[in-house]
Amino acid sequence: MACNMRTDLLAGHLIGKRRTGDASVVRAVLVDRKTIVKNILGSSNLIIRTLTKPQVETVERDVSKGRFGRFGGKYVPESLMTCLGELEAEFNSALRDTEFQAELATALRDYVGRETPLYFAQRLTNYYKNSKGEGPDIYLKREDLSHGGAHKINNAIAQAMIAKRMGRKSVVAATGAGQHGVATAAACAKLALECTVFMGTKDMEKQSSNLRLMKLLGAQVKSVGGNFKDATSEALRDWMGNLESSYFLTGTVVGPHPLPSMVREFQSVIGKETRRQAMERWGHKPDVLLACVGSGSNALGLFHEFVKDKDVRLIGVEGAGFGLESGGHSATLARGDVGVYHGAMSYLLQDEEGQIVRPHSIGVGLEYPGVSPELSFLKDTGRAEFYTATDEEALDAFQLLCRLEGIIPALEASHALAFLNKLCPTLPGGTKVVVNCSGRGDKDVETLFNHKFHSM
Amino acid sequence: MAISTNHATSLPKTCLPSFTALKVPSKPKNIHLGRPGFKRSSISCNVTEQISTVCNMNGRENDFTTLQRPDSVGRFGQFGGKYVPETLLPALTELEQAFHSLADDEDFQKELGGILRDYVGRESPLYFAERLTEHYRRPNGEGPHLYLKREDLNHTGSHKINNAIGQVLLAKRLGKKRIIAETGAGQHGVATATVCARFGLQCVVYMGAQDMERQALNVFRMRLLGAEVRGVHSGTATLKDATSESIRDWVSNVESTHYILGSVAGPHPYPMMVREFHAVIGKETRRQAMEKWGGKPDVLLACVGGGSNAMGLFHEFVGDSDVRLVGVEAAGHGLDSSKHAATLTLGEVGVLHGAMSYLLQDDEGQIIEPHSISAGLDYPGVGLEHSFLKEKGRAEYHSATDEEALEAFKRVSRLEGIIPALETSHALAYLEKLCPSLPDKTKVVVSCSGRGDKDVHTAIKHLQV
Repeated sequence: MACNMRTDLLAGHLIGKRRTGDASVVRAVLVDRKTIVKNILGSSNLIIRTLTKPQVETVERDVSKGRFGRFGGKYVPESLMTCLGELEAEFNSALRDTEFQAELATALRDYVGRETPLYFAQRLTNYYKNSKGEGPDIYLKREDLSHGGAHKINNAIAQAMIAKRMGRKSVVAATGAGQHGVATAAACAKLALECTVFMGTKDMEKQSSNLRLMKLLGAQVKSVGGNFKDATSEALRDWMGNLESSYFLTGTVVGPHPLPSMVREFQSVIGKETRRQAMERWGHKPDVLLACVGSGSNALGLFHEFVKDKDVRLIGVEGAGFGLESGGHSATLARGDVGVYHGAMSYLLQDEEGQIVRPHSIGVGLEYPGVSPELSFLKDTGRAEFYTATDEEALDAFQLLCRLEGIIPALEASHALAFLNKLCPTLPGGTKVVVNCSGRGDKDVETLFNHKFHSM
Repeated sequence: MAISTNHATSLPKTCLPSFTALKVPSKPKNIHLGRPGFKRSSISCNVTEQISTVCNMNGRENDFTTLQRPDSVGRFGQFGGKYVPETLLPALTELEQAFHSLADDEDFQKELGGILRDYVGRESPLYFAERLTEHYRRPNGEGPHLYLKREDLNHTGSHKINNAIGQVLLAKRLGKKRIIAETGAGQHGVATATVCARFGLQCVVYMGAQDMERQALNVFRMRLLGAEVRGVHSGTATLKDATSESIRDWVSNVESTHYILGSVAGPHPYPMMVREFHAVIGKETRRQAMEKWGGKPDVLLACVGGGSNAMGLFHEFVGDSDVRLVGVEAAGHGLDSSKHAATLTLGEVGVLHGAMSYLLQDDEGQIIEPHSISAGLDYPGVGLEHSFLKEKGRAEYHSATDEEALEAFKRVSRLEGIIPALETSHALAYLEKLCPSLPDKTKVVVSCSGRGDKDVHTAIKHLQV
């Protein structure tokens, strides 16, 4: 049964009308109270809670309701509403609980290895100097040095602690590149929680090293045909069957409220440290913040602290895959339209019939057809700028950092590094650029090796 | 822990006149070490009459706090020295002088400190392993408190980078443009390639052709980082042959080239330098222990291959006789089998890689091919300072088999969500024997010398996960 998404009900801010079709994944949802939603989570028909009033776009983010302008929200079945409400209450209480905060701070320091350095990349800086010897100063925020090798652990450990606090015994998660899966498995091992991770079969092939790590850490890994979006749908389904005893540990800043806000809050330590380190280093704020964008967790983690500082430029770089015209990319903010996916309104890659487009990027962690509602808001209000980098540009940047700085970056982070080629020539000498080096590339070395990376 | 092997100086015992075993000289009870009248000739060795007994220090702190380690000719007791061809002696002297001058050089120390902080990610945490501690708690609720010194969090994933960074900075000071190293499994090679990329130096890593095949991923990694990896086909095409080739290269290019030796072995001043660059591990531990529980650690536990991570942790505390130092070597398939790498337990004293130390040798003085499931412990020699500490009774050395290490690997992964390197797992394995004997609340610090991502294939194969 096809349903119409009455986008004109949303105060005319959304683009166009489209039909949603039958499928086994989350579909764009209706906002008309009378209409039944098809296939919100899985294949059952569920009536969802809808908006009774037209959505009024606000300039300010209404974070307490999980709205960022028109983006965000809680497009979920009734059965999940209570759960999400409970989670939000627990989250708010944990934020105010000094004991929880102290325990989290210790875990971040001794287990994760924070604070991560703000590293001056001398040779990379020199490389981008122009013929007059001028150019920006490039710093790398070294999230690659975190336990597990990526920023994902900041959120995983905090949420695992919340799960324990709520008395849950088991955790369920979905992972794309595997970094979130590894981080979740590690946090669960440390906190004696049972862990089940859902991973798409396509991703398992591409990031088999992460798969092995999860198993060694004691997690049960369940394969799902497809990739991250399919794994997410399956994980949500699994969670809904065990709402009392299980905790859905989300890895990124998408999903229904309060998930995006929670993850962003736990990742914001990246930006907070950066502010302090920048002050120590050069007595001021960074001028430009640069990060790759899959769903947006590492980007928001860096940006959030500085959103109100209008003199700090925020730049996100998505995966252009084989090229934006090719159809094989993950550039949601560049090419997507607004719709509802996985419980929140945001930009997403969908075709004319509202079917989710399968994304592609050499950076597996960027392969997500949706994006954070908060980033969608920052794009629409012009607060942040978004660009893209192709697979090839990312590989070149990967190689460059290896050779110039002896740091093997994750292919995801390499997209942000790739954008330096276009960015640096436009920046005045001495501009302070901080790039979020969101993960290390050991997981990618094996893939590249197996596919015989030819520029050796 | 890849080490340089110098065929020319690892003397088969049959080369030496009129004896078949290079025995340990009897120890004088006083602390005057060093050999007055010891000639700095190209190859020399000491002939002695009887095997000494282990000296009991009786907890006299003075012996280690005032002891010069090493002495002016690079000796730790009878161990150490410079058993190298004449051609290399000027390079070694230059290295030693440069190293000593840098100790007082504030700019150098500041640069090194900055790099350790921003590039390597120091200081590494001293992590209280709650679930591991709980695991070893006895039924009456008593047991030691276990802490992990997290060298696994360093850039490149192990302690090796501390020394690689220090040595490459030293090489730059000396005006060297070219770095060489040898590597077995590739970890030391990767650390060397990393620092060379960071500092823009040419890097050549020698690797046995057999090892290159077994460790193709690490070869790829080194090349990604811009290093040239040269295969060595002579001999058994493994580590010791790669080392000979490195030495040959160094001898011919000594003006332009610095040899980054990976562990606390080799000719003086390497053991001392490598130890000093790793000593940051112990220094941080002292301060962190004071912050965390207001005291010193009671027991320090580390795996021993060449011995660099162990020396890095131990060195700071050698003068504190109330701190117990425990090293764990690889027992491979078992001490009774011929497949192990337990040099300090089963070896004899001899000269290997330019220094006198314990080593695994047969009756004819030929080096025995060691075995351990962990490549980094797969070394027939051992750091000479460990030989010295063992002989003095200051440190104790035990061993763990491949199987015990694999069990520990799995245990720590499941209990703490930290996947330790297989090398490190040997130290963690020894907790099984150690913990039951320790009084309640004993503070144990284990050097978590590396992360185990590199060992995942091996572990999965053996553990059938």
